[in-house]
Amino acid sequence: MTRTRKPGVSRRATLAMMGAGAVTFATPWVARAQAKTIKVGMPTILSGRVAQLGTSSRNAVVLEVEKVNAAGGLAGRQIEMVIRDSKGQPQEAARVARELVNTDGCEILIDAEASSGAFAVHEVARDLGVLCIHTNSETSSLTADPKQHIPNAFRTARQGVHDSIVGGSYAAAIAKAKGLKKWATCSPDYAYGRDTTGEYVTYLKRFAPDVEIISESWPKLFQPDYTEVVTKILQAKPQALYSCLWGGDLTSYIDQANIYALFSQMEVFAVNMADYTALTVVKNLPKGIHSGNRYIKTYPATTENAAWGDAYKAKYNEYPTNWSWENATAIMLLAEASKKANSADGKKIAEALRGLKIKSPFGADGTVTMRAEDQTLVGYAIGWGTTIPQEPYVPQVQAGDWKTIFELEAEWKKSKGYA
Amino acid sequence: MTELPADQGAQALDVPQPHVKTRRNRDVLIALAAFVVLALLPMVFSSKFLLDFVIRCAAYGLFATSLNLLIGYTGLTSFGHGMFFGLGAYGFGLMMQKTGVSVPVAFVATLAITFVTALVIGAICVRLKEIYFAFVTLAFQMLIHSTILSWVSLTGGDQGLRGGIPRPPFWGIDLSNHLHLYVTSCALLVIGLFLMHQIAQSPFGYTLRMIRDNATRASFIGIDVWRAKLTIFVLAALFASTGGVIMALFVSGAYPEFAYWTISGEGIFINMLGGVTTFLGPMVGTVLLLILNDTVTRLTEYHGLVLGIVILFFAIGLRKGLMDFVIEWYAQRRDRRGK
Repeated sequence: MTRTRKPGVSRRATLAMMGAGAVTFATPWVARAQAKTIKVGMPTILSGRVAQLGTSSRNAVVLEVEKVNAAGGLAGRQIEMVIRDSKGQPQEAARVARELVNTDGCEILIDAEASSGAFAVHEVARDLGVLCIHTNSETSSLTADPKQHIPNAFRTARQGVHDSIVGGSYAAAIAKAKGLKKWATCSPDYAYGRDTTGEYVTYLKRFAPDVEIISESWPKLFQPDYTEVVTKILQAKPQALYSCLWGGDLTSYIDQANIYALFSQMEVFAVNMADYTALTVVKNLPKGIHSGNRYIKTYPATTENAAWGDAYKAKYNEYPTNWSWENATAIMLLAEASKKANSADGKKIAEALRGLKIKSPFGADGTVTMRAEDQTLVGYAIGWGTTIPQEPYVPQVQAGDWKTIFELEAEWKKSKGYA
Repeated sequence: MTELPADQGAQALDVPQPHVKTRRNRDVLIALAAFVVLALLPMVFSSKFLLDFVIRCAAYGLFATSLNLLIGYTGLTSFGHGMFFGLGAYGFGLMMQKTGVSVPVAFVATLAITFVTALVIGAICVRLKEIYFAFVTLAFQMLIHSTILSWVSLTGGDQGLRGGIPRPPFWGIDLSNHLHLYVTSCALLVIGLFLMHQIAQSPFGYTLRMIRDNATRASFIGIDVWRAKLTIFVLAALFASTGGVIMALFVSGAYPEFAYWTISGEGIFINMLGGVTTFLGPMVGTVLLLILNDTVTRLTEYHGLVLGIVILFFAIGLRKGLMDFVIEWYAQRRDRRGK
């Protein structure tokens, strides 16, 4: 007797497929149990207008991880980075972060998200208890606000309030010396722009009380045309201008303001100028723009820093960004903390990270410290200088004083009700 | 959008009256079965990824299906439906953070806020037709989005609601436990879909289809078109808002992106993928989009390109959503067999 096969999917095949499906879902758990490598997950922005944030963060992380792996990894376990795009959407950042931990078996998160995405990942870290290092969010409240505090989250980025204190005191000194009393501001219209400008003005007025703000402009983020902003500032005739525009916005602004010869009519303070993303893109970089250092390989003026910048350039054919050093620092700290704890366990690394001081090319005195009380980076190089149109772009950088920063930061925390 | 010829509605217009009760009982049974299956999934698969996936399906599924009540059933292509998703997330998040009420109270209050907002916005919007309706809804969406951005003291501006959403346990349910959150999301999804299906199958649902096919004829036989449109606009907003609540619980926060036009765009995209002529089309679309999104972003950062090609395939190749295609193919096959 012959059996005829009915067309379609047989019961056996269906069962096999269901089994395969179950295995697919269950695999990550098996994989995790047997892992010799340690997976580090990294949600970041790799597409859209600020894709450069993600790519330059990723580059720096890959560069550092190669070194750590060559030196034996984290307590003998090789690091495997799992880097994924969040498209700059907080809900995607949260989803990707959860997926990295729950499905891919990542034991540590490097959160290279900007603004709201970082807060979304912070909640994932709170929920899952996984060790998480924020590398790109400079919003002070992320670590300063005790309500945000969780023992497993750290930050290796600059902080808005540090920048404002140093920027304000630097500008005040020049304002006094040159008699700059009438000031204008021009910053992007979102939380970073508003907060940073507000804090900067607060400290500027604190150090130079007779300064007066006579004009404020708030162009939209990613605005293509700045003509009205430029003419508004020129009509107000200020003696000095502050701006925290960044990246493409800053370069478009400078290119357009150059047409009106704005830079010859006032002193300009642009905190985000001294970053290669802006310095190398501007068509005619005006001489004498005051800027905070973001990342330049000539400040700190050490061989370590220059070597790091050159190694990055050699590998990726472009200079690192502000985000690059912040992410590189995260890996350096992880490696040191793991060595100190002699473990790759997240909890033990977190314990070792608190108060950890490491040698760093990006330190003001050759070291950076993960401050124990609020788990954020301090002691990094921070200073201001003026631009010249060619390399090294900002030849002289005047260092900010960390003692003053600590004093005023403590005061600021009190005023915000954080301390 | 997919054109809907008058003779090819969401369901053929067989007069359904005599079997209302049996059909409702059947729906209840299906809903219960679906809930039991979903609730038992974690026992079979221990994957947390699956739980996350289903929770997100619940959020987007409720949102997209409610949008289909407007697009597919009433012919109102709203470009601003995402505002209610955002409103749900922010309303619930703020209520939990600022007032300290229990979860069910915050949920009901969020629905109440959505109800009032949708009533006001709807009253203005549904007077308009087609492209004008689409653009006025989009304008209101941008208004709400801008309000969220600029009202920093309340909403946290572009940083969103920070510090997590507190979720005190209620009725033995602890939403900070992921499994409880999963089961609650499934329950909200199933109840939401069940209610929306009842709306779609009710005489009111058939009135909507009539308005879609010929609003003038509907008003000539005595239907208050404006009132019917407004009612469905508000009802759809409530379900979208519920989706927002689930999303807020999932990410433990609320972000301006939830009220941005891209969320509305995703809703329309989901409806195009799944199809607007069947009730479950948007749900299928949601699952498809999320699977696509999750797998493609794993593999490449050029996901925009991949998703673009997929939508081109659906828009130009199939010229309809997946469920529409499947239903048509099935009908053709049945007809051929019949011969």
